[in-house]
Amino acid sequence: MGYLEIKDMEISFPTPKGKYIAVKDINLSIAKGEIVSIIGHSGCGKSTIMNAIGGMIIPTGGTVFLNDKKIKAPGPDRGIVFQNYSLLPWLTVYQNIFQAVDAVMTCSKFDKHEIVENNLKMVNLYIHKDKLPGQLSGGMKQRVAIARAFAINPSVLLLDEPFGALDALTKGTMHLELLKLWNLDNREKTIIMVTHDIEEAIFLSDRIIVMNDGPSATIREIENVRIPRPRNKLDIVNSPEYRAIRDRLLHLLTDKFSIEDLGIKYKN
Amino acid sequence: MKEISETDELKLVEIKMKVVPKESQREPDDYKKKIFISKLIEKGKSLLFTILGLSLFLLFWSFITSFTKGDLPGPKATLTVLFEMLRDPFYDYGPNDKGIGLQLMVSLTTVLKGFLLGSIVAIPIGILMGASNIYRLLFYPIVQLLKPVSPLAWFPIGLVVFKDTGMATVFIVFITSLWSTLINTAFGVSTIPQDHKNVAKAFGFSKMRYLTKILIPYSLPHIITGLRLSIGVAWLVIVAGEMLSGGTGIGFFVWDSWNALSLEKVMSAILIIGTVGLIFDKIFTIIENKVSYK
Ligand SMILES: Nc1ncnc2c1ncn2[C@@H]1O[C@H](COP(=O)(O)OP(=O)(O)OP(=O)(O)O)[C@@H](O)[C@H]1O
Ligand SMILES: [Mg+2]
Repeated sequence: MGYLEIKDMEISFPTPKGKYIAVKDINLSIAKGEIVSIIGHSGCGKSTIMNAIGGMIIPTGGTVFLNDKKIKAPGPDRGIVFQNYSLLPWLTVYQNIFQAVDAVMTCSKFDKHEIVENNLKMVNLYIHKDKLPGQLSGGMKQRVAIARAFAINPSVLLLDEPFGALDALTKGTMHLELLKLWNLDNREKTIIMVTHDIEEAIFLSDRIIVMNDGPSATIREIENVRIPRPRNKLDIVNSPEYRAIRDRLLHLLTDKFSIEDLGIKYKN
Repeated sequence: MKEISETDELKLVEIKMKVVPKESQREPDDYKKKIFISKLIEKGKSLLFTILGLSLFLLFWSFITSFTKGDLPGPKATLTVLFEMLRDPFYDYGPNDKGIGLQLMVSLTTVLKGFLLGSIVAIPIGILMGASNIYRLLFYPIVQLLKPVSPLAWFPIGLVVFKDTGMATVFIVFITSLWSTLINTAFGVSTIPQDHKNVAKAFGFSKMRYLTKILIPYSLPHIITGLRLSIGVAWLVIVAGEMLSGGTGIGFFVWDSWNALSLEKVMSAILIIGTVGLIFDKIFTIIENKVSYK
């Protein structure tokens, strides 16, 4: 059995119009240290799957095992970056991270302080540590959420569109920070990430999971990314593997590639 | 689609050039001065309207006075007596003749005692009601049943239990202070967004950490609003309560002055009661603004 094992998972929500099945028949086995991306159209159930792994919701059918134990609740072994950041608006950037560290870790107060400061420096927000979330830009909030998840040093990182609000430059830096962190720990951290960015998925992942559209969304296809690590962003874009994967993903996620596909004649 | 021609583009450029620099981009000193002046004008305006409103009120009051052929003392007679009262507010010529300041102190102490006790009871129960369905089901019917009862109806019960009119007055203020605080606290706690709860769940916050870092900061503005409403009603009730209990306090003063047929004193007391109520409200409004994090 894999390190993280999802078996016949189905998740439905009660709605006024009856049961809404968000995802079903999800079977997935993820090894320790693997980096996996989940990609799919908006509303297909990516966050729902992440929540089930995080223990935030309990699947209505099937089971999720982590390290042979059934997941029933969140735990310090999993660090979550929520899609909507979920920062506490009355706490400063520093306190938002500190409260999580203080709740999860058992080390001394001084060590906790060090952890918070180091993670703030990692996401380049140290000078903003005394600001309230309301005074931050979307991308800055996102980085606080990332620092908070990293700070508790979990063995599984669950990142729901963690870099969606970042500019290309900051995004690139964050990619490298993520890989650095992963490399630091003998690559034992398992990272599961939701993204809409195909290039990001290929650059970071060992496998890319492509979802069908909901309702009752299932896994459509799993792409293996066999590009050797360490990967160089500039070099890999020219490699045939990269291009092949990107084309396949584009075809899976897009069905129209030009306005001519919409039946529009383009006049010169 | 209409294409932008070359001349159109030129016009666009022209428009862009003409755009006046924003206020903040001008000389900073000049900018600050402007802000200051506009604030001053705003303040002056609101002062002007306050004075206008008060004058209208005085005019109306004088009209009623002349309408009742002087049975009701007019503003001038009342204000003269009021200043008289305020000149020596703390005199004490025995149990039936005390200065207005002393009477006010008695009332304020009673209100604060009852209000504090009421808040100490109401906030925790409100939190329980907002956080758990069981407590809501348990307490809500009681609240609904007792809330509409006039606080004065509790006076005899207070007398029976405490055998003391002073304590009985504190008791009715206590009962009065419960409801708004309770309901607002419960509402605040029950509307904590799922996002905030998710943080607590994901990072395994203890009950205490949840209480101090999420529940209270989120519901504090609601709690303060509840307290503000509560103390307002408590101050309303104290006057009537002291009329019943007698002896001391601003309410007793009103009743005593009425019996002594000194309507100027009654009117003065009304002005004082109103001012104190206004001050309570202002204090809590300031706290309300301080604790709202947005
Ligand atoms: N609590 C809920 N109650 C009812 N329906 C829900 C709930 N949570 C999610 N859903 C439904 O489940 C489906 C999947 O939602 P989910 O948030 O997982 O999508 P997503 O793939 O993360 O989308 P996006 O890319 O826009 O974030 C949606 O149709 C959504 O309406
Ligand atoms: Mg989502």
